[in-house]
Amino acid sequence: MSEHLAARGVSKSYWKGKNEVPVLRGVDLEVEHGELVAIVGASGSGKSTLLHILGLLDAADAGQVFLDGSRIDDSGERARDRFRNRSFGFIFQFYHLLPELTALENVLMPLFIPHGVWSYLGRRRAYERQAAELLERVGLGRRMTHRPAELSGGEMQRAAIARALAGQPEVLLADEPTGNLDAKSGEGVLSLLRDLNRERGLTMILVTHDMQIAQQADRVVRLAEGRIEEWSAALA
Amino acid sequence: MYKYLLCWRYLRTRYIALASVISVMLGVATMIVVNSVMAGFSEKMRDRLHGVLADVVVESYSLNGFYDSDEVIARVMDVAGGQVDAVAPTMETPGILHYRFSDGQVITRPVQIIGVNPAERAKTGDFAEFLFNQKGELIKPSFEVSDKIKDKTPAGSLLRSLGEDSGGEIDAKMEQMIRAELEEQKSEQAPTRGVILGYALATHHPGKDQPDIYIAPEGTKVGLLFPRAGQKRSEGAFDTFTVVGFFKSGMSEYDSTHVYVPLDRLQDQRLLRDVHGRGAVTQIQIKVKPGVQLDTMAEKIQVALDDLRPAFFRVYTWEQKQGPLLGAVAIEQSILNILLFFIIAVAGFGILAIFSMIVVEKTRDIGVMKALGASTSGVRDIFLGYGLLLGAVGSGVGMLGGLLFVRYINEIERALSVVMRRKVFDDSIYYFDQIPTLIEPFTVCWIVFGALVISVGASIWPALRAARLHPVKALRYE
Repeated sequence: MSEHLAARGVSKSYWKGKNEVPVLRGVDLEVEHGELVAIVGASGSGKSTLLHILGLLDAADAGQVFLDGSRIDDSGERARDRFRNRSFGFIFQFYHLLPELTALENVLMPLFIPHGVWSYLGRRRAYERQAAELLERVGLGRRMTHRPAELSGGEMQRAAIARALAGQPEVLLADEPTGNLDAKSGEGVLSLLRDLNRERGLTMILVTHDMQIAQQADRVVRLAEGRIEEWSAALA
Repeated sequence: MYKYLLCWRYLRTRYIALASVISVMLGVATMIVVNSVMAGFSEKMRDRLHGVLADVVVESYSLNGFYDSDEVIARVMDVAGGQVDAVAPTMETPGILHYRFSDGQVITRPVQIIGVNPAERAKTGDFAEFLFNQKGELIKPSFEVSDKIKDKTPAGSLLRSLGEDSGGEIDAKMEQMIRAELEEQKSEQAPTRGVILGYALATHHPGKDQPDIYIAPEGTKVGLLFPRAGQKRSEGAFDTFTVVGFFKSGMSEYDSTHVYVPLDRLQDQRLLRDVHGRGAVTQIQIKVKPGVQLDTMAEKIQVALDDLRPAFFRVYTWEQKQGPLLGAVAIEQSILNILLFFIIAVAGFGILAIFSMIVVEKTRDIGVMKALGASTSGVRDIFLGYGLLLGAVGSGVGMLGGLLFVRYINEIERALSVVMRRKVFDDSIYYFDQIPTLIEPFTVCWIVFGALVISVGASIWPALRAARLHPVKALRYE
């Protein structure tokens, strides 16, 4: 396996008034193709910040981010928008589906974004079929026209996973994907993610504070005091 | 693509934004109604003003006018012959109207006496459309005193009762003398010269919803006092006429002062006939063909006539002659428009406030969109598009409502009058039986365009704020 996504010497601080609060202090992380990596750590340890920097949602104060060996964190705004749209798929703790759109339209969102009206309408049938298949895959085949308010927590998270997959990304970035779900739904979501990782060979980074969940990953990385403290071999 | 979808969904789900739609709607509707009514009023007024005046008027400074009207007309034809439809020389002079009401009181009024050839004058404007008889029917432009009027005089009715033939009761010679005497008295009681009186000069308006009373009905003998031509000293002349009709233009200024008499008679009585038998006139009314630029034509005629006799003639277009009145209406309309536009501006601030709220409410969604790859400009366009859509819906519905209101304004006025138990639009003040309206498509387009600009303008700031949100901060917003 070869290196897919990497962070080198990434530092990030937040400012609380006049006080600088360092969150990441030179983090190095390498993730290989098709690898499922879990990042664990106490709350406030910088897990989510690292994930956001890896997914180009946030900028590091120092350090670099590489995708397939090329540096991507210094690219221009349009290129960063394109990376987020095509290369990364985000999954959030609170699902963050757009409440005005149906499940199907939410899944279509990453496909809407790069297209104008005419260029989208030309591809509409193919895209809708693709989104419908994804919803079928996550078990929401009968919920396509429902709005988020009409779905349960587990269903919303499955829809969010389908949305993250719609742009056919190379890397899935999941921030506490089961954090807001009951044990059963959480287990369902997790096994779905694991299956996707195996089926599609997707590279996945999973942020969690739950060691039980982390143990299902190929590799667990622990963040403490802004540094990667402990590497553990696959515990599967 | 997602921008249009979200704009559309926001419009359909954010009912709070409809509040700003309503204010845009009301603003647009009000502006359309007010503009249409004002345009209707001024159009009607222009119509009436134009009816009384021909397109272009040549006037002499001197009240005594000029004898060489044929030559003046020839000059006018020289410079603008192809564009002229009809000309009519007239004479205008101030004077005093004097007549006796049936109860014996004598009524005296200052008037503007206008000598015309009615058929000629009718060709140069809407003059004929304003002439009515006592029953309110249109009459021919003529000063002829009908036999019916003559027969109604005391002498006329005596003559009638005498019948065709007395049947030999009186001596034939005697009868002939009596008839001749009565004929003479008849033409004294009803002079053969007709006069057309301004409607307000001849009637009394007793009050709301009551018919006007004719104090100088058809057949009334009226006297007119006016200045004679004089080099050193003006003297008065007095002449009598029989009322044959009424002039009702709807402009109270004219209806209460204008008195039309035969041009020949006025020229004779004012002693304005030269040795060649030519009568003097003070004005030449010119009607031009449609589409001709009046201002340039008036200028051309002025130059040509100054050539003929310097500083003797003034040439006006009908609009120039009524300049101050038309100007006042135009100023009123533009001030009202500025004031009313503030209503839409207020609606704009409503949009700004509501949009700022919506942006706050949508903060996390904006973060999600950015995480999914939406660009800064894309997020900005969602809110600009939303503002445009709100403006379009507001001004579209407002336009429709405004146009419907204008279409049914008289019905609405009647309904309001019933509810308020008083007449909202008093026709005795305005002289119109209905509220005049005129929808100008250009004005409507401008109002709608202005409302759209304000709606988009008001959404710029919230849209920029949304676009500048940091995705991580937006996602963490609670």
